[in-house]
Amino acid sequence: MKNYKMAWRNLWRNKRRTLITVASVFFAVFFALIMRSLQLGTYDHMFRNAIESYTGYIQIQHEDFWDNKTVDNIFNYTPELERAVMSDNNTITTVPRFESFALASSGTLTKGVLVMGIDPEKETFLSNVKGKLVKYRLNEDNIENLKKADLPEKLKKEFDLFKGNDYSSKASIMLELGISERDSGSILPVLEKYASFENGYIKSGEPGALLGDKLATFLKVGIGDTLVLIGQGYHGTTAAGKFRIAGIVKLPTPDFDNKIVYLPFDICQELYNAPGMLTSLAVSIKENDDSEISRMIKTLSSKIEPPLKVIGWRKMNELMINQMDADSKSGMVMIGILYMVIAFGIFGTVLMMTAERRREFGVLVAVGLQKSKLVAVIIFEMLYIGIMGIFSGIAIALPAIIYGFYHPVRFSGEMAKMYEDYGMEPVMPFMPVDFYFLWQSVVVSIIVLIAIIYPVRKIYKMKIVNSLKA
Amino acid sequence: MIWKTAWKNVWRNRVRSLVVIASVTIGVFASVFSIAMMNGMVAQRVDAALDEEISHVQISGMGFRLNNDPQILITDRGKTVSQIKTVNGITGMVERTIISGMASTASKSAGVQIIGIDPEMEKKIFTLNKTIMQGTGDYFEKESKNELALIGQDLAKELNIIRYSIDSTVLLTLKMQEIPDEILDKLASLSGIRFANEKKFNKTINSLLSKREINKYGQKIKKEAWSFREGSRLTLTFLDKDNNQVGARFRLAGIYDVKNTMFEQSVVFVKDADLKRLTGIKENSFHQIILRINDIEQTEKITSELREKLPDLDVMNWREIQPDLAMLTDYVHQIYAVFMVIILAALAFGIVNTMLMVVLERTRELGMLTAIGMNKKKVFSMIMLESVFLSLIGGIAGMFVGWIVILLTAKNGINFVKYAEGMEAFGYSAHVFPEISAGFFIVVTFLIILTGIVSSIYPALKALKLNPVEAIRTE
Repeated sequence: MKNYKMAWRNLWRNKRRTLITVASVFFAVFFALIMRSLQLGTYDHMFRNAIESYTGYIQIQHEDFWDNKTVDNIFNYTPELERAVMSDNNTITTVPRFESFALASSGTLTKGVLVMGIDPEKETFLSNVKGKLVKYRLNEDNIENLKKADLPEKLKKEFDLFKGNDYSSKASIMLELGISERDSGSILPVLEKYASFENGYIKSGEPGALLGDKLATFLKVGIGDTLVLIGQGYHGTTAAGKFRIAGIVKLPTPDFDNKIVYLPFDICQELYNAPGMLTSLAVSIKENDDSEISRMIKTLSSKIEPPLKVIGWRKMNELMINQMDADSKSGMVMIGILYMVIAFGIFGTVLMMTAERRREFGVLVAVGLQKSKLVAVIIFEMLYIGIMGIFSGIAIALPAIIYGFYHPVRFSGEMAKMYEDYGMEPVMPFMPVDFYFLWQSVVVSIIVLIAIIYPVRKIYKMKIVNSLKA
Repeated sequence: MIWKTAWKNVWRNRVRSLVVIASVTIGVFASVFSIAMMNGMVAQRVDAALDEEISHVQISGMGFRLNNDPQILITDRGKTVSQIKTVNGITGMVERTIISGMASTASKSAGVQIIGIDPEMEKKIFTLNKTIMQGTGDYFEKESKNELALIGQDLAKELNIIRYSIDSTVLLTLKMQEIPDEILDKLASLSGIRFANEKKFNKTINSLLSKREINKYGQKIKKEAWSFREGSRLTLTFLDKDNNQVGARFRLAGIYDVKNTMFEQSVVFVKDADLKRLTGIKENSFHQIILRINDIEQTEKITSELREKLPDLDVMNWREIQPDLAMLTDYVHQIYAVFMVIILAALAFGIVNTMLMVVLERTRELGMLTAIGMNKKKVFSMIMLESVFLSLIGGIAGMFVGWIVILLTAKNGINFVKYAEGMEAFGYSAHVFPEISAGFFIVVTFLIILTGIVSSIYPALKALKLNPVEAIRTE
């Protein structure tokens, strides 16, 4: 009989023990996969958020700007530069930006803000500010009216929970309030009537401003009000100006929402006394895989001259990468402990199996089975256990992960509020199949291989006479 | 008798039992220690928030919290204070003036919250005075004819007040710390250069030294090269009570380090008298009164009492000010429990397998015992006890090792230097001092016993199903 066949039959001689050992491997693999998938998925989601709503994948900046973000580290936005970037095949468009710090005030209220000069049209290709304009508002008056309207009682309670929140799309308000597709037909028109918000956008050459909704609440301003910005301009000049508030935006990261002011970039250049200059030129790109990005960084770097410098998203999100790394390591420790425990379980099984079958081994060798062949059978047995554990783990985890990837868990109501208080988006995304799947298999295989050492040694050292007596 | 038999049974197959016990020991030790680390981190965060940042209860004028409107003041100080004093459990009280503004040096500026304090009074509530970095000054101790400001480490870096440079004294100190000469020679080439910020210094060091050298000596070098000019100045710009822009020069009193990037970047402390004079806010008026209470469990009760007595003012406790912190303290124990349960469940597989083996190999013996009249309940409890002993021995050993390791590491803490930047951005210190309460060990003991019981059920039921007549016949 072939070794692998014999091993397979041996496994089912003690069905229960085999199944329990397989179950322990399954348990570890399943948990590790789900945990890892959630963790990696969250990182991926956060990176995408940061990249797509702020930094973009590639930017061109003055070489000192990234480390020292002052208005003095800026560069001339020349047609040659524009041509150089546009000549790359992967470029969709350039997105010019002028970002700086200022003190914003309205009446007696003041706050330090991040001023972002953007090209109102081109910015759509990167952070899509236009799509983040507030469409629905749950302010006190609106909630008052909504409560009088004909709506389910449960929904009315939710309004109070989210008092003061703004929403930039139908989808986002439905998610947060937990309105199902089925109910949307009757509820949305009511929301449209009582909670919709008239918003405007900025235009190049016009001194209008867009504000983050939390910032607008803080400064107690609305559309049409005047905002005063005071800051430090190019080469130590004073930057001061008055702007009409054209619109309110809702950004997903609360930190930005609290401090962002968008201006058209030409107006912003004027404010900081730096006509024709930029702090950064972001590039909107077609393909965003790592190899394509590093190729682009290389080619662009060769086309531009110092003091200009090309930087990629990794460099721009260093802090976040550091945080994710710390979090990822702590997750790996947890999985490590889990596997360590499972390793002991497997070792225990091997130990029992060896002790129990001592006599059997002895007989087999006595009747002429080569020790190497016996070892091969044992190795097959253990590998089967490992493989069954891994595959059953993957088989059960995979559908959950794939489903979770396409339909990420989104919290509504209380849970959503809690996440937002914590400064996070109320969503739990999964990461699709990736290297981490392979890793679990490798780890389990290593554990199994280590556990095999014991019976193998026992067999080679076995004295037939003694074991027959057992 | 059952107890004794079960105990003796554990040691009949020593090696097998020891493998199970070892797995429980390691699993319990690893999870207890990880939880102590987590718990230490959380406890440090909560302590830092309560002792350095927000304290327990904050009282301000209605609407002030929403947007720090400087016009919303608490003006009738005497009445408010006497009302507060009637509430039991309050151990300290301090008043603050809070103005939003901008801090700038010659090269950079940043948005900040300027807080006017009475340094002597503050010491009774906050421990910020203990976080002043060595060599940067002090907590408004020295008399000065200038206006003084106390800023955070991260703001100092942001405004290029902290710089990095290597000179002969730095090289000498490094030499005394037994850093190899070849590294000192490489560093010597940098002497005379001033690095305006940490990132530039890091970049240069990274290109100069190998990765291994940086891992080994980087922290020491950075610590020594850190330089700060005493008496640096910065300008604070803000609006006064009549809405006129005021720009005033302040000298640095010192730099504090609370391991919380957000806080350090945005909060500047000045003397209340200076801020009052510059803004024209009347004496005896304040934006905020901060209270400390003696028992944190009484937070909600004291808050509601205060709300009753001060209906015109906005009373907020730390749970409401930082809901994330409250959530953390409320849910963190559940997270520990889930963690523990997952590990114990994994351990249970090993125990089930072993106990099953025990039952199968003692088929004859168990049959005999039943045949001579041992009732089913006793057989069941004998097996269950054996399983509980197995898990409990491992569990106690694991907890003991965990406790020792926690004691050993709690003294000096464990410093995750590599992740300091990322963790401090969330307000967590990367220097973790593991700690755990005694109650936790009791809960874990309970869970371990439960694991032993649960994993013995299936094997014990197997044992009960044995037919004594057949069982005796098996060899």
